[in-house]
Amino acid sequence: MTAAAPGPRTNMGQPVPRYDAAAKVTGRATYASDMPLDNPAYAFLVTSAIAKGRIDRFDLDDAKRVRGVIDIVTHENAPKLKESKLYSNGGYAGTTIQPLKSAEIAHDGQIIAVVVAESYEAAREAANRVKVSYSAAAPTATFDSPGTTTAAAKGQNSQFKEDPKVGDFAKAFDAAEVKLTASYETPTQHHNPLELFTTSCTWMGDNLVIYEGSQYVHGLKHGVAEQLGIDADKVRVVNPYVGGGFGSRGSMTPRTAIIAAMARRLNRPIKLVPTRDQGFTITTHRAETRHEIKLGASRDGRLVALRHEGAEVSSRPDAYCVGGTKTTTRLYACPNVDSLVSIVRADRNTPGFMRSPPEVPYLFALESALDELAVKLNMDPVELRRINDATRDPIDGKPYTSRSLMACFDEAAKAFGWSQRSPQPKSISDGDWLIGYGCAATCYPTLAGPSAARVRLQRDGRTRVEIAGHEIGTGAYTVIAQTAAERLGVPLEKVAVFMGDSDLPPAPVAGGSNSTASTCSAVMMVCDQIRQRLFKALMPSDSLADKAKETVGISPAPSTQAAKSDRSLDIEKAFDALGVGVVEEYGEWKPEGAPLDSFRAMHSGQVRLVGGHQMKDQIAYAFGAEFVEVRINRFTHEIRCPRLVGAFAGGRIMNPRTARSQLMGGLIWGMSSALLEATEIDERNARYVNDNLADYLVPVNADVPGVEVILLSEEDDRINPVGVKGLGELGNVGTNAAICNAIYHATGQRIRKLPVRLEDIEL
Amino acid sequence: MPDKPGSRSSGFDRRAFLAGAAGGALIPLTARAASEDARAPAAQDPALPVEVTLNVNGKDKRLSIDARTTVLDALREHLKLTGSKKGCDHGQCGACTVLIDDRRVLSCLTLALAAEGQEITTIEGLATDDRLHPMQQAFIDNDAFQCGYCTPGQIMSAIACVKEGHAGSEADIREHMSGNICRCAAYPNIVAAVKQAAPEIMKG
Repeated sequence: MTAAAPGPRTNMGQPVPRYDAAAKVTGRATYASDMPLDNPAYAFLVTSAIAKGRIDRFDLDDAKRVRGVIDIVTHENAPKLKESKLYSNGGYAGTTIQPLKSAEIAHDGQIIAVVVAESYEAAREAANRVKVSYSAAAPTATFDSPGTTTAAAKGQNSQFKEDPKVGDFAKAFDAAEVKLTASYETPTQHHNPLELFTTSCTWMGDNLVIYEGSQYVHGLKHGVAEQLGIDADKVRVVNPYVGGGFGSRGSMTPRTAIIAAMARRLNRPIKLVPTRDQGFTITTHRAETRHEIKLGASRDGRLVALRHEGAEVSSRPDAYCVGGTKTTTRLYACPNVDSLVSIVRADRNTPGFMRSPPEVPYLFALESALDELAVKLNMDPVELRRINDATRDPIDGKPYTSRSLMACFDEAAKAFGWSQRSPQPKSISDGDWLIGYGCAATCYPTLAGPSAARVRLQRDGRTRVEIAGHEIGTGAYTVIAQTAAERLGVPLEKVAVFMGDSDLPPAPVAGGSNSTASTCSAVMMVCDQIRQRLFKALMPSDSLADKAKETVGISPAPSTQAAKSDRSLDIEKAFDALGVGVVEEYGEWKPEGAPLDSFRAMHSGQVRLVGGHQMKDQIAYAFGAEFVEVRINRFTHEIRCPRLVGAFAGGRIMNPRTARSQLMGGLIWGMSSALLEATEIDERNARYVNDNLADYLVPVNADVPGVEVILLSEEDDRINPVGVKGLGELGNVGTNAAICNAIYHATGQRIRKLPVRLEDIEL
Repeated sequence: MPDKPGSRSSGFDRRAFLAGAAGGALIPLTARAASEDARAPAAQDPALPVEVTLNVNGKDKRLSIDARTTVLDALREHLKLTGSKKGCDHGQCGACTVLIDDRRVLSCLTLALAAEGQEITTIEGLATDDRLHPMQQAFIDNDAFQCGYCTPGQIMSAIACVKEGHAGSEADIREHMSGNICRCAAYPNIVAAVKQAAPEIMKG
């Protein structure tokens, strides 16, 4: 067994290799732009060179002269498309800025023309020969730029209903023995999944097939149908593999309907492969944020007052915000809490979710502030968190379904060697390198959404699972196959899983760490429907059928061994009794507390995720603790992070191999959010400056020497039938704070603005 | 290396093409139209198809393509070998890495014309008779990928990394595998995979 496949602890599945492993190492895995098309034309985008103003005139003569050009579309001749509302307002779109509709420019890099040609090379050349005359206005770039408007998020964002508060913060803060006020900043970031934001559209009569990397095929299908004004049943989105999502492919972008409409007009498949830099402006991003934290505590470390004020930048028309105060006001026991989230509008494209959207920026502020408080109290930061550990949601008083935060701290601290740490800053060094240790908590809400599935079982045990889930690298194929194999008692290698196709039964968006909980709960339920039919065929008496029923819903899956020895015999006999060759079941599962319109919404491409703090009688979060070592060169100020140790508790771990990998990737993302990633903005022109993979820094292999992931055993039967909390976003929360806390320990310098650059270090 | 039969039979003038292409790259967009006429007689329209024969995974493939076509686009769009991936088209991410005459090369930065007469090996050419290449198996064993998009490039790069003698230590592997970005950040597992496969690859 390799380090990649840790042996399962209690309440963990087997670390089997990925279902899609062979396809991925041989190049057979087909991503959207790998799909064969019959005689495609190639599209190339032209994007705006200004951020605000209008287009006066296009000169297309030069472009049209390029050999092989077929069509050039601008706002003057573009196919008419219906507008789609934001996904959060009952629509499907990630932005309401619809390009090619008018001469107006709302942000830099907006699509202003599309060239279609016989070859990619000709389309690219012609796009570069499109000449545009603009009337440019002075754009507003970001915080502090002239022309921003600021207003409370509450009341303008339908998903941000309340600023959490409890008790009397002002009074308690005034009276607190120890006080801290500190401000923090996080930068704009771009997901940069390695697969470009490609779209291929092909029509067969009235039916449209879209090949596009998507984290929500049913949403994209309905959104494009709405924009084209056609029946959603005529649109199919296919993407069996997605080359990374991280939130960037969760909602519809304007490009898809444009390409679909152009392909219809041309009566020929069109393939669009946007460039990497275009990806920075034709999709979404993580917005830059600012925070002020106020903490009041007693001398023994008990929090008595906590206030978190956050501000986020959004576009002019869309009130997007992540509003992470919903989590930061609930993480620690504190009787007096206040919060406020504001949205700052600028001439930018609309932001969107990026891996752990609320928690990455908001916990950076809180977990940094907690470390600052620990220093003021002269207290170990782990002990400060222990003193303020909560068993109930401090805002609403609801109990946590399970909470292993301190168990995570203890296991990670032990593995890291935290007890060896001398708390004094600048107390550890190795030659020219100052060494610092730091830690922080992570948490992420446990969410799930309605999901359907179809399962088909043959007499010989061959099983086919159909569900429009998404393989974005999480191991979705693998854990769904494991669920079906365990539940039906068939060998894993006999299970085939079909996903990433909107013709399959709908599953939720692959976002918010809900996929495993939602899809595996649905698959488990449908497998149980099959078991019931088989049991009934074998033993038609009521009592036994009742016994079979007991296995439906919230019950642990049968152990693999037991399933293998009993059930395979059952299956053959049951098929004989039934007199059929195939048993197929379809079912729709929804989590407890899902709204009444859940299934209707599911079939309309809309997601109703529930959980976290919005449950009726309880609150559900996954927790973890992260410890890091930083080394800072005392002469060059170079910052390295040789060690990342994280311990995580996420309910049932379906597959320790895929779980470990996802959390490991998360930890590295967290390190990156502290030390590398930032989209730099030219404040005069409201443009992204470093819009490529050389200048937008992401980690490479040499940046990541040592990562250790510890998976804790945790059982939670109150969250969903499979008992899964979700891990995709847990790993990269808090890491940024842990690193800044370690930098403080190494240097005595507190850095409150990300990312930390070597010029920020003053020694 | 002798020319392969059938190579460069189009009468395409490489010098004229390069002059035109390089000139185009240097002249600012606004000035381009004015200079067009002056150099027109010397430059062939690059969109006119050019005949090229590429040796891919041991087989000669004859193509008629735009002279500006990269090896990556030739593989993906013309030969339907989509294992090599486009992640940046700028030589920044490594997803397009292939072996050309056993050296790792960024296929997005290499013109197909320039690869004529050389042996191109792609991810599709590694497994033999259903038997995975040791590096492919090592990637599976060590879970050295998540979304899988960078994986073909990582594997091609990893094979070259071993053959170059850069798999002696973990630090060495990390350094010499740093031209291939894995956004899912499977890096520690990639290092473990290279370590596992190295002895078998060096054995031949």
